[in-house]
Amino acid sequence: MNNTRNQPSARKFWSWFMPVGRQAGSWAFALNRITAIGLTFYLFLHLGVLSLLAQGPGAYDDFLVLTENPFIKLGELAVVAAAILHGLNGIRIILTSFGVGVTRQKQLFYGFMLISVLVILIFTARMY
Amino acid sequence: MSKPHVIIIGAGFTGVATAHDLALRGCDVTVVERGDLCHGTSGRTHGLLHSGGRYAVKDKESAVECIDENMILRRIVPQVIEPNGGLFIAIEEGDLDYAEQFIESCEECHIPLEELKPQEALKLEPNINPKVLTAFLIPDGTFDPLRLALAFAGTAKHNGARFQTYHEVQGFLMDGQGNVSGIKVLKRAANKTEELRADVVVNATGAWAGEITNMAGLDAPVKPTPGIMVAYDQRFVQRAINRLNTPADGDIVLPQRRMVVVGTTSFDAENVDYIPVTDDQIKLMLERGSELIPGIRNAKPRGIYMAARPLIGGGSGRSIARTFKCYDHKETHNIDGLVTITGGKATTLRAMAEKTADVVCAKLGITAACVTKETPLLSYRQYYASPN
Amino acid sequence: MTEQWNITLRIYRQKENEAPHFDNFKMEVNPDEYVLDAVERAWAFHDRTICFRHACHHSTCGACGMRVNGVEKLTCITLIRDVTKNGATLKVEPLRNFPVVSDLAVDMGPFYRKMEAVGARPVLPVTEAEIENPPAKWDTDDAQYIRLSDCIECGLCISACPVMATTPEYLGPAPLAAAQDNGIKRKPELLSIVDCEDGVWRCHSVFECTAVCPSFVDPARRIMDLRKQVVGARVRKLFGKA
Repeated sequence: MNNTRNQPSARKFWSWFMPVGRQAGSWAFALNRITAIGLTFYLFLHLGVLSLLAQGPGAYDDFLVLTENPFIKLGELAVVAAAILHGLNGIRIILTSFGVGVTRQKQLFYGFMLISVLVILIFTARMY
Repeated sequence: MSKPHVIIIGAGFTGVATAHDLALRGCDVTVVERGDLCHGTSGRTHGLLHSGGRYAVKDKESAVECIDENMILRRIVPQVIEPNGGLFIAIEEGDLDYAEQFIESCEECHIPLEELKPQEALKLEPNINPKVLTAFLIPDGTFDPLRLALAFAGTAKHNGARFQTYHEVQGFLMDGQGNVSGIKVLKRAANKTEELRADVVVNATGAWAGEITNMAGLDAPVKPTPGIMVAYDQRFVQRAINRLNTPADGDIVLPQRRMVVVGTTSFDAENVDYIPVTDDQIKLMLERGSELIPGIRNAKPRGIYMAARPLIGGGSGRSIARTFKCYDHKETHNIDGLVTITGGKATTLRAMAEKTADVVCAKLGITAACVTKETPLLSYRQYYASPN
Repeated sequence: MTEQWNITLRIYRQKENEAPHFDNFKMEVNPDEYVLDAVERAWAFHDRTICFRHACHHSTCGACGMRVNGVEKLTCITLIRDVTKNGATLKVEPLRNFPVVSDLAVDMGPFYRKMEAVGARPVLPVTEAEIENPPAKWDTDDAQYIRLSDCIECGLCISACPVMATTPEYLGPAPLAAAQDNGIKRKPELLSIVDCEDGVWRCHSVFECTAVCPSFVDPARRIMDLRKQVVGARVRKLFGKA
């Protein structure tokens, strides 16, 4: 019985992010990981931007002009969305890890997603 | 002094129990099975650990075998048994007529029984038919088919037996004098054939016994007799519930995990490899099952299946004796090296194995006695204890 | 008249030293039969080289777990009607995260060894295996009714768990659920087995295990409860020693 079929593989890794045919919990898992990667990327970006301050007020002000760019604004919205989704889903994970609401984890997910969508919509309205 | 090599064809109940017995008596055992454990009849058995009550009136030999083996299995392999006993219940006047001979026969077969008044029976089992007229408590039980086999196989493996699953026998190796000296086997996982020599080959293929013996040019007297089982999705009772009457279709309902399983029927079939389920038989199980447990009408079927019993040829249907027979083909057809064991019930697997091992050991000149009655089996997970 | 559907059964095939591939079998099936019946028919009437595992055909042995159209199912209780349509394809593959023996049959060895390591109980008192909404109340004061436990060791949860896919050493949902069922209080030796990086802390709350379990084990809830047990045991140890 020498076969390598069920070893970790790239396809399996990517299947984490495409939970087709899977249930709500898998989608929450995938969403959490995607937002986590996004937020981590943003964190480094943000630190990079803040380091501009060390180069004096001029450098930072030049940067602020960029932020009026609609694509950058969209990016900022994406960051806010990711933070809300990741944060609320994270609260769900904390709750279930303590045994609270484990049997209702699907409803928790849907509920938090609803709140996320509402908050994101409010943010969008305020931004534009 | 090397151990004699015995090949057992078939990893159903008979095969694994025989492997266990022979391993303990000092044989080198290889079990070959074209599928995995319990792919045939053994997997789909109802799962009733018989008290023998069902056979006491018409088939006393079978009944005594059952009660004796029932007690042994409770001792040696409790890990796979729901040991909660059983009831024989009378629903109609016609059932009551059976009571007297039932009591006499059970006593004759030393099957412990206790008669209960209807209210007592309903107190023990609130979901049985409220019209129950009388009931008898007997030591039935339920077992897990695959895990029963795994327990025997795992213990045998621990004692040196080898199990080659997905190995399909294609023919026999013959010595110059027309005797069986081994098998030709196809490794199904690799599409390769292989030859395996043995001092004795045991044909433990149950309903397929005839297909195997045909490869040596002889017939085996086995009559595959299928029956239906329907599993419903609620555990209505804790005990086996039997109809108090002559054995008939759909007169046993067994609890198992969160289900009850209603069985069975009995009919002839040609093709043993696949037996389709028919609607009329499903309806019959629903009818008969709900006579014993009315709640079944509101339950959902969870699994429906057919399996072919390996009855010893002769009469037809229910009249065939359910004992087992071991054939040494040197005596039947002057072909040495091949032994066929067939017939039997799941409950008597250890006894079938003892008889078969006796025959095999006599042929091999082994004088060790059978110790399986007193040997507790290891955890059924022992079968997987060492990586392949 | 029983309904007849025409489906294409698409089965994963793998033999030693051959490239894995899929075989298609056009079959007429009764949609009220089970997926396992279709696989068995393909073996009986179309291709005798198909290897697959089955035994009880009524969800008590756990042998027939497979992926049906990508989702883990116990094929003996999965109606064809529920997973495909007339004229459509029914894809059947072996479970993930198990070594494949051949075609649809996988090696349950590593999984069974983990179940044994946590001392999973095969039978237990009915009072310790509560059924929600039981169909009756039994007097269990005198009679200690015993039944086979819920977990049938089918491995669907192991296959569905994405953590299992990347960490084969992870104990996995079913073994952790069995450990919870035993309880740290009753079996303190379990503490060191489950309180480790590949034990109860490796779970990432995907909940797919509970979603696919055909046997009411609810491993996700049990893993979270086991965490509470572990933390409680460690805290008690801390104050016990102090």
